[in-house]
Amino acid sequence: MELGLNYLYSITFYIPECIAILTMAGILFLEVIYKRDDSKRVLLKIFTFSGLVLTFIALLCNLDLPTKNIFYEAIVIDRFSVLVKIIAVIAALISYWYGLYSRDIYVSLKSEFGILIVGGLIGTMLLASANNMLTLYLGIEMLSILAYPLAAMKRMDEKSVEAGLKYALYGGLSAGIMLFGMSLMFGILGTIQFSEIAARIASLDVSQKVILLPAFLFFFAGLGYKISCVPFHMWTPDVYEGSPIPVTAFFSVVPKIGGIAALVRVTSVFFTGENLIQYSWVAILTVVAALTMTVGNVSALGQRSVKRMLAYSSIAQIGNILLGVLVLDTIGHQAIIFYFFGYMVMTLLAFGITAVLSDQYGNDYFDRFNGLIYRNPLMAVSLIISMLSLAGMPPLIGFVAKFNIISAIVHKGFFVLAIVAVLNSVISLYYYMRLVRLVVFKMPESSEKLFDLGFGRQALFVVMAIFIVAVGIFWEDLYKFSEVTNQIKLAH
Amino acid sequence: MQHLLNWILWTPALGILGIFLIPGKAHNAVRYWSLLVTAITFIMTILLYCNFDQTVPGMQEFFNIKFPWIEQFHINYSLGVDGISLPMILLTGLLFFLCILSSWTIEKSVKSYFALFLMLEASVFGVFMALDFFLFYVFWEVMLIPMFFLIGIWGGENREYAAVKFFLYTFAGSVLMLVGLIALYFASGSNSESFNILALQGGRFGAMTVKLFGGDWNFGILVFVGMFIAFAIKVPIFPFHTWLPHAHVQAPTAVSVILAGVLLKMGTYGFLRIAFPIFPEAAVYFRDAIAWLGLINVIYGALCAMAQSDMKKLIAYSSVSHMGFVMLGLAAMTTQGTNGAVLQMFNHGTSTSMMFLMVGVLYERSHHRWIVRPDGTKGFGGLYTKLPIYSIVFIISMFASMGLPGLSGFISEALIFLGIYKEFTSITVLALIGLLIGAAYLLWMFKRMFFGEVNPSIVEYHDMNAREILYMAPLCIIVVLFGIFPAPILNIMKESVGSLVTLLAKFQ
Repeated sequence: MELGLNYLYSITFYIPECIAILTMAGILFLEVIYKRDDSKRVLLKIFTFSGLVLTFIALLCNLDLPTKNIFYEAIVIDRFSVLVKIIAVIAALISYWYGLYSRDIYVSLKSEFGILIVGGLIGTMLLASANNMLTLYLGIEMLSILAYPLAAMKRMDEKSVEAGLKYALYGGLSAGIMLFGMSLMFGILGTIQFSEIAARIASLDVSQKVILLPAFLFFFAGLGYKISCVPFHMWTPDVYEGSPIPVTAFFSVVPKIGGIAALVRVTSVFFTGENLIQYSWVAILTVVAALTMTVGNVSALGQRSVKRMLAYSSIAQIGNILLGVLVLDTIGHQAIIFYFFGYMVMTLLAFGITAVLSDQYGNDYFDRFNGLIYRNPLMAVSLIISMLSLAGMPPLIGFVAKFNIISAIVHKGFFVLAIVAVLNSVISLYYYMRLVRLVVFKMPESSEKLFDLGFGRQALFVVMAIFIVAVGIFWEDLYKFSEVTNQIKLAH
Repeated sequence: MQHLLNWILWTPALGILGIFLIPGKAHNAVRYWSLLVTAITFIMTILLYCNFDQTVPGMQEFFNIKFPWIEQFHINYSLGVDGISLPMILLTGLLFFLCILSSWTIEKSVKSYFALFLMLEASVFGVFMALDFFLFYVFWEVMLIPMFFLIGIWGGENREYAAVKFFLYTFAGSVLMLVGLIALYFASGSNSESFNILALQGGRFGAMTVKLFGGDWNFGILVFVGMFIAFAIKVPIFPFHTWLPHAHVQAPTAVSVILAGVLLKMGTYGFLRIAFPIFPEAAVYFRDAIAWLGLINVIYGALCAMAQSDMKKLIAYSSVSHMGFVMLGLAAMTTQGTNGAVLQMFNHGTSTSMMFLMVGVLYERSHHRWIVRPDGTKGFGGLYTKLPIYSIVFIISMFASMGLPGLSGFISEALIFLGIYKEFTSITVLALIGLLIGAAYLLWMFKRMFFGEVNPSIVEYHDMNAREILYMAPLCIIVVLFGIFPAPILNIMKESVGSLVTLLAKFQ
């Protein structure tokens, strides 16, 4: 029966994706009924929101399914992938929400923005469930190609166009390298199915293994580019800075969690036996993780633009998450999911507030935040909570996330790496506090209250801030929810 | 009464809610409310003292509170009190109460100031009560947030730099403690007792090794070093003390008082509660180093204090010197030495607070703190003739800080020297020089400020007002009372200190 999961039967496990795809197509059709400069488009907004919410609900229903290989083993549905998709869909929803308000997204492009966001979400969903190399590549490309126009969305702005182009160049190059790595792997192993790779690796002789390692490295380049880990991070700051903020918010969560999910799956499915290749892979990941954290944090120190600072900070956070990948067990995966829940909320909150300021002033330099607490206490306090949490101060969710990751690696005996990680959070504290310092200690240029947020966004910020604090104190439920019950290993 | 610890811990936190319910401009209401909250908290700490069973070593079963918090990681919300933490809890309750009185003149963002102050109080109580390592860590870190804002918003000219430096330094130390506590959790079998500070005690980790860089390392010693750095930054022990002068000078008076009076004690309390009992072998192993570091603190702090022309900086460095005595008492690992150390923690908390408060009183009149201005002229002079009450109170605080016989500082320093003399004779002799320098810089400061020609700038100063006398009086009484009759404090710590010393003695 398992193998006999034909297409029709498979679709029953693929409802969330189907809803997302229908949403995407539906926006295309609904777009037509509006005039070009119609700013309301109420029906369209409701449609997009409800599509995403329905996807979310469908995902929740899929959460407790046993692991299923569907579409002739091209796709796997397990708890890990569903959790990843849940995080991605929430992030897409919030980014879309920001996009509706943002001036960076032109009124005439609001519906295209929706299409691209939902499309990127589908790419991430593919990536999270990829069970063979083709699906993986498809996911990466789906995500990338839709991301290029997203980055260049503010098409009257030079920086945004530059961001799009840069993203496309880097993306194209790394996808090419990845494809090359995959072809080498296929040449050596003779399969593209993840489930068979571990067994094939075990049967290789030494010389073949030696060729396989560079192939894995090429393969890693593609994923590394998606999650922007060192040394594939160069594009991140420029693209983040150039893109409209809602897009940046989207980029900082959705493609990254997709990339990390694929990396987790690849790592835990390919390297089951304790052998040379696994050791090398873990060693590479260790170095990459340590470098990613350090380079990200150190580069963030001297930035002028908050968006750019957040870009580097997200690189550093990804470094932390990579620690969870290299422990190679379910505790690590649980820690990753938990980290992503926290990371998503903290980053989106920070980006949301930056977006408001940036809309007001036209840029997001640090001094725009001067004395924010005297002008809009709600935003200021939410921003402070988010920054403290990103730095890893208890009792906030960022601390708990770091605690889980660090306890996973300490459990495996990576003490030095743990110390590198915590010292990095000290560096990160400096630049996060730099922002807090401006918000609280500096006097504002004018004392008038600014930023009329409206109820919706105020409520969103408050909910996110409360989430950060509340889950930071009572994190047991979310931690249990993040549990990846079945080891990500495949039958047969 | 069983939940007294909970009440003490959460009353200030509830007080914060109250502050936010008070409408916008009612500043006096905020002040009186905060005073009421801290007064109630202080009365509850007295109640705790009255109900404390002095004959019990270790934790007082009656007051223990334990709820599961995160069951998956075996983290509990557990609080307790013993003879080592009780003096600190009393000190915290008292000083926060008095500091609210001394903060009466704060006019900038009154609500936030008092709210942060109460948040600080709650987190400090948490540190002194927590029996769960994770909980301890959370409170230890939470305390940084109000401190950062209190220094950074209400501080002096260079406040931002001081606030950030303080925050980064302490955070750098405590993340090492975080790795240590996680390592400890797994080393002790990640079971239900693995975050329980009491269950971890007793030297279970002396023989364990870990692989690092291809070699075998002693687990106990590695983790001890991490914790040592965390606590040493807080104490602060040379060479981790450089944040302290900045933080003290820039902080507003009441925050300086709390910083010197209570927060520095958290470092030494960490040694007494965590580092020493959990890793007795490592503590014994590093005993000489700790003693020498303590000596450096005593001498170096005193010499630095001697060179200062800013009163607050002088007192800040004198704190470095006095905390050195505490470290000496700890390194002695004898009954007198450790008793002396805990008593010195309490006494330094009162005497240095008096000094800082006195500086604050003067600062409100003069708006500067120069003993000698940078251009060489005297900042004050002849204060004695103009401000008699102030001068008398200042003399009491100064002598208490100096450790004059008959005042509380003397008892604790004498106990420390008694305890350490047999163990480290040469260090004892050298440390006595520190006492001498201590007397020198204080008397020198006194001479330059209070005697001599009346400085024209001080003519208009008025003497201490009733509010200022009100918050200085209890401290004066305590300093004199415990100088003559220290038994009330010594008795409560006796048994707990005894059991710690017995534990350490096993490994010597």
